[in-house]
Amino acid sequence: MSGDYKFDTLSLHAGHVPDERHGSRAVPIHQTTSYVFQNTEHAAALYNQELGGHLYTRISNPTVAVLEQRVAALEGGVAATATASGMAALSTALLVLCSQGDHIVSSSRMYGANINLLENTLTRFGITTSFIDPSDLAGIEKAIQPNTKLIFGEVIGNPGLDIMDVEAVGKIAAKAGIPLMLDCTFNTPWLLKPFELGANLIIHSLTKWIGGHGVAIGGAVVDGGNFDWGQNDKFPTIAGPHYAMDGINFYEEFGPAAFTAKFRAEGMYNFGPSLSPTNAFHILQGMETLPLRMQRHMDNTAKMLEFLSGHEAVAWVRHPNLADHPGHELAKRMMPRGAGSIIVFGLKGGRDAGRSFIESVELASHLANVGDAKTLVIHPASTTHSHISAEAMVEGGLSDDMIRLSVGLEDFDDIKADFETGFRAAAKFAKTKD
Amino acid sequence: MKQQLFDTQIHIATGGRSFSNDGEALVLLHGSGQNHLTWVLQSRYFAYRGYPVLAPDFPGHGLSGGTPLESIEDMADWVIALLDSLDVKTACLVGHSQGCLVAIDAAARYPDRVSRLGLIAGALAIPVNDQLLTMSDKALGKAISVMTSWGHGPMAHMHDNTQPGHSFLGYGNRLMASNHADALRHDLVACNNYSSGKVAAAKITQPTLCILAASDRMTPVKFGNAMADSLVNSERVILNGAGHMLPAERPAEVNDALRHFLAS
Repeated sequence: MSGDYKFDTLSLHAGHVPDERHGSRAVPIHQTTSYVFQNTEHAAALYNQELGGHLYTRISNPTVAVLEQRVAALEGGVAATATASGMAALSTALLVLCSQGDHIVSSSRMYGANINLLENTLTRFGITTSFIDPSDLAGIEKAIQPNTKLIFGEVIGNPGLDIMDVEAVGKIAAKAGIPLMLDCTFNTPWLLKPFELGANLIIHSLTKWIGGHGVAIGGAVVDGGNFDWGQNDKFPTIAGPHYAMDGINFYEEFGPAAFTAKFRAEGMYNFGPSLSPTNAFHILQGMETLPLRMQRHMDNTAKMLEFLSGHEAVAWVRHPNLADHPGHELAKRMMPRGAGSIIVFGLKGGRDAGRSFIESVELASHLANVGDAKTLVIHPASTTHSHISAEAMVEGGLSDDMIRLSVGLEDFDDIKADFETGFRAAAKFAKTKD
Repeated sequence: MKQQLFDTQIHIATGGRSFSNDGEALVLLHGSGQNHLTWVLQSRYFAYRGYPVLAPDFPGHGLSGGTPLESIEDMADWVIALLDSLDVKTACLVGHSQGCLVAIDAAARYPDRVSRLGLIAGALAIPVNDQLLTMSDKALGKAISVMTSWGHGPMAHMHDNTQPGHSFLGYGNRLMASNHADALRHDLVACNNYSSGKVAAAKITQPTLCILAASDRMTPVKFGNAMADSLVNSERVILNGAGHMLPAERPAEVNDALRHFLAS
């Protein structure tokens, strides 16, 4: 090995070396709850974090660890911890970082469940959030309070596709002595590596592009190791004595991996959001082809943008790669390979036309997921974002007629033909409206 | 714990246990551009087995204040001064890489204070090429990246790890970046300038354990073997497939070997 392995190689290999006894080339599924200790001293050492290893699958598992190490390698982080879903990753990360009375500054343009967690659930536990338009850098800075513990956002907002300026927001967070945590599900490390721009913690729903096949739910928290938890007194449960392990100070003991050590010791241990080994295996199968799939996603997205933009049935199209998107220049700079394979659009004829379109297409699947190898469509206002208020919908840039399209890997001519069928069905509403 | 030494606050990892100066201390000395975090999987392990562990950050490294020391001899004197300040009579010095040079120099000049030596991925001399020296001054990030890459063996490059979810390369880069900006350059210059290793080794009669890495590209194993050959009272362990960052890459074998040595 003369240098570090590249992205495509890491997607296939990172985290796994065939074991000497069996030599399994594929990552084995360690479908076990527990691990036999060599003796009582060994058991105690594992509990006390004197040794690396596994003691109970709620905390860690060899198959899951391969996935974690692969995600960490692709992101350039110091460590990753996998969870049962992306929401498990986010909620646990926030609870590991925040305590009662703490405050979060968050993008207002995000996935409905992310907003719900911050707006409705965490407030019950005394953790409040100020929601700010991610493009309003001055507003983000102004919203930071003495008790603010992090800035949170999505690089590519779901489903409005607003772009967050990671470098600029990272500087605001660094100046305030708080970490920038980003949900990077839509961009994947193939499109953007946010740690290189100043982000500190990354949340993934591995269910989406990283898995890519739609067979397993999973999530991850990736630790950039680039935040100094001891620079101020804001994080006493990381840089001060913790209740666990004789008052361990994670910052002093584990340095750049302090957050991960606490996430494992407290988040996984107390909340138990563990990923099943079999799901980790499935997601690993998907990761092997991540670079190939992402290239194809972006190729088909470019074709779809051209097709939709020129189609008479389409009222509007939004994607950061289109010149009229407010974040176009920023997206081009941050993500030269493209700003993801989600497109949102509206049809002439509004909501009824959209409903007719979704119910008429056959190749595109109508379901609540994105990032699948297959093309997917959904109407966010009545599904993924139905639990958020009308005000929050408007604040989030969502319109009633919006269709969210996750561009898949099919032959583009077939997707195009399928959409033409949907447009014909929707046409009667367009005429009615006209 | 924190210790004041020469008007500088020094951070010393004690493995999560209170340090007691009663008996032989186990002092873990980090390498160039590293800090106490080199010993994450040694300090807790030995402290919880009753050893009084001291894993200090040299000045300008990790959580210690001050500016980096200029020479290996200065570092050896500093270690003895640190022992004095803690009223530690004798210590087993365990060095990694540059820490081996410091341990060897201290053992030769302060034989009544250094009872035993553990030398991990070391050599009697660690010359540094001009390109890396220049890089450490002009392009620190690149120097850190190169050293992290070269410092780790095949398993680390495949991001396999005994610590679930951890990346050796990611962690290694961030660890080095957390030091004083001048720390790496001072360390590399100190290593490059140190030429007393052979003379010092000839004076050492204390029991010594050399733990060497067969795939070490920073201090190749042939130089580690030469070091072990020159120490009259030494034993050696060579770990196949391991790179220079042995304490992190192969913690179980390193700890077992050290523990056996310390118990003998």
